Amino acid sequence: MSRNAVILGGGQCKWGIREAHIMDLFQEAGKVCLDDIPGLKPADIDGLIVATSYAGRCSFQVNTAPVVAERLGLKPTSICTRCDTLCAGGSTGIILAKGLVESGNADIVMVTGGEKLYTPQKWEIFYSELASVDHDWEATHGMGLPPPFFSLTAQEHMIHYGTKKEDLAAVSVANYNYAAENPVAQMQKRLTLEEAMSAPSVVPPLTLYDCCPITDGAAACIITTDEIAKKYTNRPLVYLRGCAQVSLSSLSVNFPGEHLADWKHMRVAAEKAYKRAKVSPSDVKVAQTHDCFTISEVIEVEELGFCKKGEGGAFCSSKQIEIGGKVPVNTDGGLLAVGHPFGATGIRQGVEIMKQLQGRARNQVKGADIGLTHNLSGANAEHTILIYGIEPVK
Amino acid sequence: MPVVGIPILDNLYPVSMDLWPVEAKEFNKVWPFYENLRQGRFTTTKCKDCGHIAFPPRGVICPACYSENLEYVDLPKKGKVVVLSEEVKGVPLGYESPLIHAVIEFDGPVKRMISKIVNCPVGALKRGDEVQFVVFDVPPMPIEKGKAGTITAERVFFAFEPVNK
Repeated sequence: MSRNAVILGGGQCKWGIREAHIMDLFQEAGKVCLDDIPGLKPADIDGLIVATSYAGRCSFQVNTAPVVAERLGLKPTSICTRCDTLCAGGSTGIILAKGLVESGNADIVMVTGGEKLYTPQKWEIFYSELASVDHDWEATHGMGLPPPFFSLTAQEHMIHYGTKKEDLAAVSVANYNYAAENPVAQMQKRLTLEEAMSAPSVVPPLTLYDCCPITDGAAACIITTDEIAKKYTNRPLVYLRGCAQVSLSSLSVNFPGEHLADWKHMRVAAEKAYKRAKVSPSDVKVAQTHDCFTISEVIEVEELGFCKKGEGGAFCSSKQIEIGGKVPVNTDGGLLAVGHPFGATGIRQGVEIMKQLQGRARNQVKGADIGLTHNLSGANAEHTILIYGIEPVK
Repeated sequence: MPVVGIPILDNLYPVSMDLWPVEAKEFNKVWPFYENLRQGRFTTTKCKDCGHIAFPPRGVICPACYSENLEYVDLPKKGKVVVLSEEVKGVPLGYESPLIHAVIEFDGPVKRMISKIVNCPVGALKRGDEVQFVVFDVPPMPIEKGKAGTITAERVFFAFEPVNK
């Protein structure tokens, strides 16, 4: 009988500027995760994947997985490793766990991710972000912090497709309002279109609410097989139907699209993931996409096939990304409002899709049976997509 | 001056905090690129077997055919601005305000790249304007050379600037 990977449970700790050590954050997330699955004991977990990119720089801790295992009381016998794909680390961990449990090389894997980015002096993370792009060829041009890159991307989208600042603002309004009552979000406030339109400038045309914050935080989830999951839960099973991770270049000089707003690598990732999951874009009822910037979400709804290329701005400003719209996107608040501790983000997204498909999300999409998560990493160097469903692929 | 909180790092060079490349021959096989920069040349590697031109330059192999038979060729030093971003506030440590970036289009083997724009006030440059290659000095770094002691390795880097009309 084939083994089908499911996400059994999970959660995140409070995200924001946290007065805590990175290992405190991993402990908090581990507790939330196990509290979500009554009956699951640390001793039942035979694998651990830890997604973190900045533990090595900001916490002076490489080979992070055994340290996290120790702090969480885990004694992994199948896998115990760290993975670093920056913003997609959590999703990458879930993809790897899927392969391990489906192949029979692991049974119950905890995938956790976390970052402690705010150091005692705040300059350091802004400086250390020089490591997030090609150090010698892009960081040297001052492209470590992403707003300039996404400013260029937004301008290209405006030039080629007529997208307006109001379209970008509509994304921040939708995502902030999704998070307004999310107690673990970094930003918990309602936002009006007027506030978003009159916010202080970051790098034109991007203003304050167009950019996700820098965030401390962690998240954790459990990936296992459907047969094992049935021993621990009566909730609907949420299957990992398909996935893809695509990198066609790591540098703007070799960017794969016609221009910066044409994300060919994301289209390839979407095609592969849909094919493997045996679904089409019109089957997706809810999505968590990588809204590191508002312009990212505008382009992502296009490249995922929720609307035509170039119509992402109108799709977002006509409320198609809100509850009742064509595909509600970032229903817990996304990176813009929940925050973005790089390695934890993909797990946060997977947990929100799991809750949506189990009918227990805060902003519930009625009848959600297929959900999708997406990350981009670095200066648009890589795209990672996972598709979840309440039935396995047949 | 001692490093605050870590006095043992006084007068030491931590490469893990250096925003510039380690360009020296002893640590980097694309060192000829930086030597060429010093002579005002903007170059990259071309494969002598398959003809593929890669940017950034490759130190060991051609990414298209894996041949090790590479040579340096010159790239155009002028290009046109496609779009540009101007960051005035919140410029990261190590850079001066305004921090300007542009997507630059070239008539050559490398079609487009994003570069820092220097010697340019906010609002001076626009889409379609011509920019030119410029080389500048960056801080030198120490290299320990055994019995010869510590030498100082000079370093340079490049950006683009507006072409004065």
